[in-house]
Amino acid sequence: MSEPVSRRDLLHNVVRGGVLATLGGGALFLVKKANGQVVWQVDAARCVNSRLGDTGAEACKLCTTQCVVALSAVRAVNEHSKCGRCSICPAYFNITSAVDEKGLPSEKLCPRDAITRKPIGKADPEDPANNFYEYIIDEEKCDGCGKCVMKCKEPLGLGSIVLRVRYDKCVNCNRCAISRSCPKDALHQIPLEQALRPPELRPRTE
Amino acid sequence: MKSVAQVGQASWPVKQVLLAILLCLSFAPTLRAQAIPYSRPVETAPQPETIGGGYKTPAVQKPLPRDAVFQMLDVVLLAGAMGISIWLVLKRRNRKWAVALTIGSLAYFGFYREGCVCPIGCIQNVAVALTDRTYAIPMVVTATFVLPLVVALFYGRAFCGGVCALGAIQELVVLKPLSVPPRLDRALGLLKYVYLVLAILLAIKPALGRDFLICRFDPFVGFFRRTGAPHMLLLGGGFLVLGMFVGRPYCRYLCPYGGLLAWCTRLARRGVTITPDKELDCGLCTGACPYGAIDQMRAVRKDCLYCARCYASCPRDGDLARAKTQLVTLS
Repeated sequence: MSEPVSRRDLLHNVVRGGVLATLGGGALFLVKKANGQVVWQVDAARCVNSRLGDTGAEACKLCTTQCVVALSAVRAVNEHSKCGRCSICPAYFNITSAVDEKGLPSEKLCPRDAITRKPIGKADPEDPANNFYEYIIDEEKCDGCGKCVMKCKEPLGLGSIVLRVRYDKCVNCNRCAISRSCPKDALHQIPLEQALRPPELRPRTE
Repeated sequence: MKSVAQVGQASWPVKQVLLAILLCLSFAPTLRAQAIPYSRPVETAPQPETIGGGYKTPAVQKPLPRDAVFQMLDVVLLAGAMGISIWLVLKRRNRKWAVALTIGSLAYFGFYREGCVCPIGCIQNVAVALTDRTYAIPMVVTATFVLPLVVALFYGRAFCGGVCALGAIQELVVLKPLSVPPRLDRALGLLKYVYLVLAILLAIKPALGRDFLICRFDPFVGFFRRTGAPHMLLLGGGFLVLGMFVGRPYCRYLCPYGGLLAWCTRLARRGVTITPDKELDCGLCTGACPYGAIDQMRAVRKDCLYCARCYASCPRDGDLARAKTQLVTLS
């Protein structure tokens, strides 16, 4: 070195080395010991909208209103394997509305028109009440208001529609704003790999 | 009443009572059957095999979170943007391109990534992960927290100038900055350390009582997400209006990560330097710095936010020199 290192520079170098070692060591420790990805998810067993026994005209809308992203990251999802494929689906129709000439309720339930259906197999146009339908929820339209979730359960439905966090929309807040206000504490952070397993294999959070 | 009951019991023949009990028992199975709660098994719904015709149950939508590759891309972009910021400000001394980088960072880290992940909030995650053994922290969060600090150890607060979306949105609204009296500036600057300690203390509480103060009271994230609680949007708007006259108020007085960066920057090898000129001691740079980071014609590195305004206003350097400004002596 052409120039002698001043005492101040030397001190700086030593302290900088110490800070670097601390940062590096800390980072290495975190990556080795605590590395993992967690996501927020709704526990259907706790959610007011899908829990049996909680019935009412009004669904809990906190998932829609409390989420920090513009259109809530919580959306209704139809578990097709559980769906009854009913012709008069209480989550698709507003079953208290007037009956039209085909014998079906005249109004839809979804305020955003996110649920569509198509007949399964041979559909009889003359007798729509005896067909089976496949119900698809358009997750781009759904805002997770929970109206359909509230209706799709005993005694009329099978509870196939549940509220679920969409991981691509969720910004994964440290403390989910919905969980902060959820009356039943139904939102929990679970490891990602666990969340991607089907819900029936998921351990219950009690 | 009591006496009547006693009399009745005494007079009943045992045989008839037993018969009555037997009769009741014979009805029991029917009663039990009625007591079974109504349940409709899932099997009554038509399943793919009963529907036939090659019907397949549609898959339940399960959109995945941002791919790990893209998460790493964020870290790479963070590092890259800091590198470019250092090159533009320290080497090229070019404000125009530095502003372009700021706008780019605001667009990507702010409006596209909606302000998450940011190192300011990562303070809390790191604090929790270091104290709670069960807490999982993604590698991306650790990297986002550590990288700007490492860079600050060598080059100063390049993160604040070139990358931080919260800084960028304030950087772009600086209109007519007033100089804050130095003593007031120092006193207000201590607030960020109070905020830092408070945020860490609330974050390392047991899992149920945990609160992430920095994320909850992030004043600008509502703009990035184009939604938010009215009071937070109002607070953000307030900071932006204040920011027109006081340069980057959140960064200088509240940002807890800014505090950490300032500490690291004290050790920096290189930083923005003001070179006094023997023949031209004009001090234009001092007037140009909206952040009070030039003290007696010397850059105060720990307060320097890498905006390169000083270079842009220097007649011997930067844009003015490149434009070949003629200096005239007034006599």
